[in-house]
Amino acid sequence: MRTVKSGLILSALAAMLVFSGCSDKGQASQAQSGSGNGASISGKLSFYTSQPEEDATKLAAAFNQKYPGVDVAIFRSGTEEVTAKLQAEKQAGQIQADVLLLADSVTFESLKKQDLLQAYKSPELGEIPAELADPDGMYTGTKVMATVLATNTQKVKTAPTSWKVLTEAAAKDTGIMPSPLYSGAAAYNIGVLSRTDGFGWEFLQAVKDNGMAVIKGNGAVMKAVASGEKSYGMVVDFMVAREKAKGSPVELTYPEEGVPIITEPIGIMKDAKNTAAAQAFVDFVLSEDGQKLAAEIGYSPIRKGISAPQGLKSISEMKILSGDLAKLTDERESDKQKFIDMFGQ
Amino acid sequence: MSEIHPHSVSVQYKGKDHSILPQFVRRFRGGWAARLLGVPAVLLLFVFPVAKLVWLSFQSDAGITLAHYRELIHQERFWITLQSTVTVVLGSTALSLLLGTVFAWFVAYTDIGRKRMLHPAILLCFILPSYVLTLSWSSFIGPQGWVSQLLQWINPGLTPWSMYSMGGIIFVMGIHHFPLVYMLTLDVFRKIPRDLEWAARAGGLGKFKTFCRITLPLALPGLTAGGLLVFLASLDNFGIPAFLGTPVNISVLSTLIYEEIVGFGPSAFARGASLSVLLGTAAVLGSLLQWMLLRKSHAPDAVQPDSVPRYSLGKFRKPVSAALWAFLLLITAVPVSSMISLSLKRAYGLGLTASNLTFDNYRYILFENPRVWTSIQNSLILSLVTMLVCLAAGSLFAYLRVRKPSPWTKAAEIAASVPYTLPGIVFALSMILVWMEPIPGWNPGIYGTMSILFIAYICRFLILQIRTGVTAFMQIDASIEEAARVSGAGIRRRWTAVLLPLVLPGLLTGGILVFLMSLTELTVSALLYASGSQTIGVTIFSFEQAGDTLYSTALSSLIVALIGAGGAVLLLIRKWNSRQGEGGHSHEY
Repeated sequence: MRTVKSGLILSALAAMLVFSGCSDKGQASQAQSGSGNGASISGKLSFYTSQPEEDATKLAAAFNQKYPGVDVAIFRSGTEEVTAKLQAEKQAGQIQADVLLLADSVTFESLKKQDLLQAYKSPELGEIPAELADPDGMYTGTKVMATVLATNTQKVKTAPTSWKVLTEAAAKDTGIMPSPLYSGAAAYNIGVLSRTDGFGWEFLQAVKDNGMAVIKGNGAVMKAVASGEKSYGMVVDFMVAREKAKGSPVELTYPEEGVPIITEPIGIMKDAKNTAAAQAFVDFVLSEDGQKLAAEIGYSPIRKGISAPQGLKSISEMKILSGDLAKLTDERESDKQKFIDMFGQ
Repeated sequence: MSEIHPHSVSVQYKGKDHSILPQFVRRFRGGWAARLLGVPAVLLLFVFPVAKLVWLSFQSDAGITLAHYRELIHQERFWITLQSTVTVVLGSTALSLLLGTVFAWFVAYTDIGRKRMLHPAILLCFILPSYVLTLSWSSFIGPQGWVSQLLQWINPGLTPWSMYSMGGIIFVMGIHHFPLVYMLTLDVFRKIPRDLEWAARAGGLGKFKTFCRITLPLALPGLTAGGLLVFLASLDNFGIPAFLGTPVNISVLSTLIYEEIVGFGPSAFARGASLSVLLGTAAVLGSLLQWMLLRKSHAPDAVQPDSVPRYSLGKFRKPVSAALWAFLLLITAVPVSSMISLSLKRAYGLGLTASNLTFDNYRYILFENPRVWTSIQNSLILSLVTMLVCLAAGSLFAYLRVRKPSPWTKAAEIAASVPYTLPGIVFALSMILVWMEPIPGWNPGIYGTMSILFIAYICRFLILQIRTGVTAFMQIDASIEEAARVSGAGIRRRWTAVLLPLVLPGLLTGGILVFLMSLTELTVSALLYASGSQTIGVTIFSFEQAGDTLYSTALSSLIVALIGAGGAVLLLIRKWNSRQGEGGHSHEY
């Protein structure tokens, strides 16, 4: 004989009644703002980023060693998807993010325009090149990242010297690049390249006609080149150096025409629920420890006096391709749309 | 995501009026309370989201408009996507039909060995989440996979075809859905009276002609229903085209909607809504067709399935059995093993040698990345709560539906089936639209938290529990309850001593199904998750998108183990259930 809890019917009935309200057990705990005493920093910090999963996790862990009371919740996706998410949250009435670390300054310019950021001038700013931080203190670069040419050494014996290789027979159907609909770096590159003399949309069209594949993010581009699926990739430099160090058959080239660089800026949301922790986080990322960590992970740091990891150029050694920030910001969406039309993505 | 379509469970209701309703039900019946609570709840949860979605697709600042649809028609990308969708859906449906019919025919009619073991092996393809199956195949065929190594060994110039192509999508979708066709056709085949076939043979028709003229026409309704079911599942599927198509610019409607929403945010809601209306309409039409077919083919329901083999394979028995087994192993076990071997590599792009083997990827996802743990916890909590709520509410509703059929309950059931009939991505978008601002100016703060996932999962999977519940209650004649009542058992005693022991196994089967579906859900979560509310499926998807294949395969391998455990529990319950069924009448109370 089996006995079943007599409460089952009642709970079933209750479930039916509750059902009209559809269970609120899942309410995520509301973030509390800083503990109030100001001295110790604690509470939940919502960190939205486009960094690779592993790097974001390491950064949060290192921050936690210094501030063990803060619970960092990470949301990670491509820059363009993170900003879309922010827009959706804004429409839903509440932006969940406290701190943002996304690919490029253009993204932050547009957020600044929409009045979604708050100014914060970190005490660490003195050690950061002024031109790589927003004069109003809305965002600050955290590292230097060039987009370079990656090649698979098993497929390509002599490293190319120019971006033009992507339009040549050598790279026919073997090139791959990240999508500007997902990757902020890619969106920035498209913006810069399409406005650079000698490149323009014609160059992109030629690249497309040469059979360039478009994949979601830089990580996926790296994977395709490392595995030999593709021979040439347009990808952010640190990934190539890191993969090469792991033993993958890849090589990186800084093309002679120059490279677009992004700075992965960090900024605090206007409606941040935990400003104290957010500011501590920004300070940490820009501090000597934070920058050393970045270099360890394999990024070119932005802070003066910390050298770039092996295999990467530092900012002074690069020839930089850049564009007009205001223009790039205004035309980001139409650039993406143009890209869709051209690449039929 | 694997889907067991509610329509595959056909149910007929006896419209008898039983006056032995438990008291609370009687109080509720026709009662204001039930309607006051029930009607708004059903409307808010199941009807309103869809209405809002449709409304948005016709809405603009200037009032009602067709502008969003016009914009679509002028986009080359839309037509390319439509073409890919049709190709993928038709191609994979054809493949599923072929495989499903072949397997069903062998299992139903011939004397191949180990049928009992073959059944779960066939279902395995479907039980594995589509993205796990996809990852298995992409690592198996990929440049780092076993096939590639084999070809290299034969001839260094040989490379396998790419899974990241139309063919790859069609293939994986076909093998993922063929068990659906198999399940539906198996019974149909068994119900075809063998005397008809004998008569045809006696009349001088050959084996092949008999099959074409007798077996096939009789099996056709079942086959068509199976085909439509696969058609719906393919329309709904997001995982396979997202993993295999997106990297190479192949979009189908479900992935296009996803790309629009996550890539452009609210500015793309109207575009996404109009795409969703098109996709949803196709799915609803397919469901209606299927429902009509199933109603038509209820006629032979009275026929007992006849599972005695009709053809002896004789000396071919062993080779045929071996061939079937080899095929099943090749489409699941081998790719899964290849995926596991990939997840043990030190770096992507290295050969598979002892020095490159490592457990680092597992260590990372289990101990070094707290977010993976969070996602596992989230998925477990989500699926547990969804299961419990569905068990309680779904079973109770199923009881009402069986014992007290009325237009109200019928309408409620149809409403509850909407979230499941709609493709997942469409349903998820409608959830965003509703819970962002249910009433203009009021933001309940549900979007962007776990709550929206709870609501979405429960709404989407409730119908599965209702259908299994209805089937379970249908098998119990009202007279049993009546007997208990006459013997003086009160309502509580009637449930605990009579009803629950009889229906619990059936209800639990539904519950476990809901649990498994929720545990590995990807489509709905992909649009609705936020920081802190990521699920297992989303985590695997994010790893894969970011190029972290070693981590995505490691986590997928863990999921395979989890599902294996879940499947084992399900089989045990089934066993217990069948024993219960046999001894059901000799229960002692």
